[in-house]
Amino acid sequence: MSKVVITGLGLVTPVGVGVRQSWESFIQGRNGANEMKSFDTSKYKVHRSCEAKNFQWDFELKNQIKENTIHKYVYCAAREALQESGLLHDKKFNRERFGIAIGTLAAELTPFERLLRLDTSKKDNGFDKIVAAVYPPNSITNILSKNFDFEGPTMISLNACSSGNHAIAWAYDRLVDNKVDVVMVGGGDMIPQTEFTHFHNLKALAPERCQPFDKNRQGLMIGEGAGILIMERYEFAKKRGAAIIAEMVGYGLSCDGFHMTAPHPEGDGAVKCMSDALKMANISSADIGYINAHGTGTPHNDKTETTAIKRVFGEGAYRIPCSSTKSMIGHLMGAASAVESVVCCLVLRHGVVPPTINYEIPDPECDLDYVPNAAREVKVDHALNNSFAFGGNNATTIFSRMG
Amino acid sequence: MKKRVVITGLGVVSPLGCGKEAFWNNLLDGKSGIAPMSTLDLSPYKCKLGGEVRDLKPEVYLGSKGLKYLNKGTRFLGSAAKMAIDDARLPTDGSLSEQMGIVIGSSLGNFSETTDYFYEIIRNNPSELSPMLSYDVALNSSINYVSVIFKIKGLARTVSAGFTSSTDAIGDAYKMIQRDMAQVIVAGGVEQISIDLYLIFYLRGLLSGLDGTQEASLPFDKERNGFVMAEGSYVVILEEFQHALDRGAHIYAEVKGFGNTFVGGKDHPAEVRMCRAEKAMREALEDAEVKKEDVDFISANANGCKMQDAIEAKAIQSLFGAGSIRIPVSAIKSNIGESYGTAGAAQLISSIMSINTGKIPHIMNHTKKDQTINLNLIIDKPLKKEIQNTLINTMDYDGNNSCLVVSRLCK
Repeated sequence: MSKVVITGLGLVTPVGVGVRQSWESFIQGRNGANEMKSFDTSKYKVHRSCEAKNFQWDFELKNQIKENTIHKYVYCAAREALQESGLLHDKKFNRERFGIAIGTLAAELTPFERLLRLDTSKKDNGFDKIVAAVYPPNSITNILSKNFDFEGPTMISLNACSSGNHAIAWAYDRLVDNKVDVVMVGGGDMIPQTEFTHFHNLKALAPERCQPFDKNRQGLMIGEGAGILIMERYEFAKKRGAAIIAEMVGYGLSCDGFHMTAPHPEGDGAVKCMSDALKMANISSADIGYINAHGTGTPHNDKTETTAIKRVFGEGAYRIPCSSTKSMIGHLMGAASAVESVVCCLVLRHGVVPPTINYEIPDPECDLDYVPNAAREVKVDHALNNSFAFGGNNATTIFSRMG
Repeated sequence: MKKRVVITGLGVVSPLGCGKEAFWNNLLDGKSGIAPMSTLDLSPYKCKLGGEVRDLKPEVYLGSKGLKYLNKGTRFLGSAAKMAIDDARLPTDGSLSEQMGIVIGSSLGNFSETTDYFYEIIRNNPSELSPMLSYDVALNSSINYVSVIFKIKGLARTVSAGFTSSTDAIGDAYKMIQRDMAQVIVAGGVEQISIDLYLIFYLRGLLSGLDGTQEASLPFDKERNGFVMAEGSYVVILEEFQHALDRGAHIYAEVKGFGNTFVGGKDHPAEVRMCRAEKAMREALEDAEVKKEDVDFISANANGCKMQDAIEAKAIQSLFGAGSIRIPVSAIKSNIGESYGTAGAAQLISSIMSINTGKIPHIMNHTKKDQTINLNLIIDKPLKKEIQNTLINTMDYDGNNSCLVVSRLCK
């Protein structure tokens, strides 16, 4: 069975454009929250989120929209990842064996919203030719395919907040099956007013800042951006002399089958997907050196996730650094687990674990090592990334250092 | 050793009726599910026809409690899933939950509910809207509902890939069972007619009648002029072979192979598109270890689009050579229209019924032969034929090509 490796990473996050800038911010514990700029929040009780800042756009896409879009974020992250992997300008391979898998929660909803705000008399007014072209989710794969000559099988993963990890799992299966040599995989999302209102009215939004695992945590903050990983068959990467960042060793999927918005109270689904991921990776729970928690900052999620981690790792749970980068960048929804998988690869590479910021008061129900407020140097061999979506749609991925 | 995957349950919510019997009998009787659309205000637009689901009684399948909170797509998918689960006689006491998954294809998911909600937001005070209104703002919310209703705990995935979404979902589920990730997977697709979907097709110039000629669904016909959009949900129960045997389940057919290719976002010439379509069929046959001489029937993607139907015909001719005039080809989109992200699952169920009854439904309204399409099209009346292996094609203008090979079970 072929090994699967990562050879390129790309990021657009609320704390930086590009991997280097984002990683520096993560290590410094920068808070990416800001007053919402992209739409008027005066009728809401919450006015903040984590928007992508200083995003520069120097390219040209088909059906391009003036404002920021998922297409633009994903394009830039993909370009960066391909550059690192050495595949950006190298066109000599069989491109029919280069696939694409991208996760998104909302797809290109914001261009529709923008257009409909101009004339709200009829819902039809949200559409013009450009919106009709960019609105179907698979327009994202079409844009990437067209611009980067990836002509293999594609998939858009619509799995809410675990979309990115589902895309990574899909890619892993096709690489192991030797159906493809390379998959550009990841996720992208914007902050549509629709999703903002949804979380706002569920009272799930934190007013000021995101405080995962803190006793006074008040909810999540929505973020935007994209994360891309270049995944390859090990033999293919080795043959072309690519530098290997990490190995993707396994994943687990599960479904709570329990409630539309609340997680299972004992975290049954979360336990299953972490356990299945460890089983597929064929490593013991004691080998995991870092957990990038789903850690949204909602009272429910953080408590349940803590319970689930303890059920899987037993006493060992207290030993594992387990941070939530959502404390800095917010919840990137469909892109979250893709960005966090990139973070796991960076942890393996640099031997530094990013902190959970805004952490002040310990919660007796959340008593793990959340790496509070300051990054820490730790050599990590295996990193685990959790994602648990509304509706109980869970996916966990595991990345390892190449021995 | 890879596990074998069989089909043990079928569920249908279609413009031709609900339940596999109604769907199948109407296909054989040459009935059409296409009519002027009743649920959308299309007065400003030229194209009026659609394949709407008209006679679904969701309370029969899902009960009346809480039904008002379920959107159209959830009602479709929930009802079709319930029919399939009952048809397969799966236990409903939760004893299978951990071994059970759901993988559904949908091109847009709940986009129309999402945009409906935004429409409410900008016309009201957004912070006063009930959170109950917004459960559907994740594009996969229908699948989540269904997983909650049927206590599915193994895994849940929603796949979007244009017209091939449900074929990809079924191919994905088939591979998951092969790899022992679940024993049973509820797989298929769901698609609902909405103004959103209509305008996407309309503004992209894909609907029949946009050029001023008469609206009709005419796959492979010389006068084809675009497709007629449709909705529905088609669900199958995929099950690991031994698991199905052990519980004495009725086995409809075996899923033997899956192949998919992508042409890419570039404006490739028709020749390249044809080669990739052919490659998807070849990959599915190779995966199934079925020789092309042994294909008894092809369920075509053909939906009445000028270029895509011609490309599919050429791809079949190229792959099967002289054999292509022998193999019967049917196109059920003549009856049900183009149901986009759930079309492949519709074709799969129709093909399974063909395997089980020895009958192939004919293409409706096929009157003008296109001389460039040299296939053994089944027209006028259904064909009686013993079928061992069928090939199911789904292909779209965005360049997705996905094919399944499904066979009568050989023990």
